[in-house]
Amino acid sequence: MAGESTGPIVQVRRRVRAGAEQVFDLWTKPDLMVRWMSPFPGVVDCKASCDLRPGGAFSLVMISGELSREVSGLYVLVDRPRKLVFTWVGPLTNNVNTLVTVELNPRGDETDLVLTHERLPTSAICEGHTRGWGNILDHLADAVSKDFSV
Amino acid sequence: MAEIEARKAAALRTARLDAVFSALADPTRRAIIERLSRGEARVTEVAEPFAMSLNAVSKHIHVLEASGLLDRRRKGRDHILSVNTRSLDEVDGWIARTRAYWEERLDAMERLLHELDTERNLGPKDRKHGW
Repeated sequence: MAGESTGPIVQVRRRVRAGAEQVFDLWTKPDLMVRWMSPFPGVVDCKASCDLRPGGAFSLVMISGELSREVSGLYVLVDRPRKLVFTWVGPLTNNVNTLVTVELNPRGDETDLVLTHERLPTSAICEGHTRGWGNILDHLADAVSKDFSV
Repeated sequence: MAEIEARKAAALRTARLDAVFSALADPTRRAIIERLSRGEARVTEVAEPFAMSLNAVSKHIHVLEASGLLDRRRKGRDHILSVNTRSLDEVDGWIARTRAYWEERLDAMERLLHELDTERNLGPKDRKHGW
């Protein structure tokens, strides 16, 4: 699926010291998802639910003091333990629908993980434009002030 | 060496932001971007709503192209313009934020794997997960 869209793509690679099945479970079992997916440091009230089949939904609700964050999406492809594709909507994407692909390639006792996060083509990218336009001056101001303080 | 490279990268980024900033400083050019964010269009279609010559609009389009905000491709005799999503996303930081987000999440995932490994080594009695 990666590479077909025209929008920007972020790719992150890791070699992990665990088998592909174990890593796949970390991504798809709610009791394990809550133990690492929260971006908040320290103790966090994190709830996860998922319906692990194509078209099934997942959601994560994370609360830390006054802050809360919600991420959700739909599974597009579930191929344990090699590949997981799901849509992703949350604050990081300004609540625009995006697509995440996690590929797991066994390398002996270890696993090569390749995560690809891309904007969905067509309508989602148009929404992205609008969003980019809405926030662009704020972020520009931040970016420029950072550059000048270096 | 790494420091020089980092400075070069920062200078390049600042130059790019300057170009984007000055490109967006003009209301006609902002209107062009807004038009194209609804979908790609021919140069003549983009020029249509403006009360100025095609030549004057073309100059604005050139400024936007030079800043990296617009892409142009030829289709027969037509020049088709579109917004470069990558440049907008770079400018507003989506790419950098997304990369940082997943790097942090994967760090946390590896810490959890280590914890689970330790739990497993405590023996079957203390075992919480069936690996």
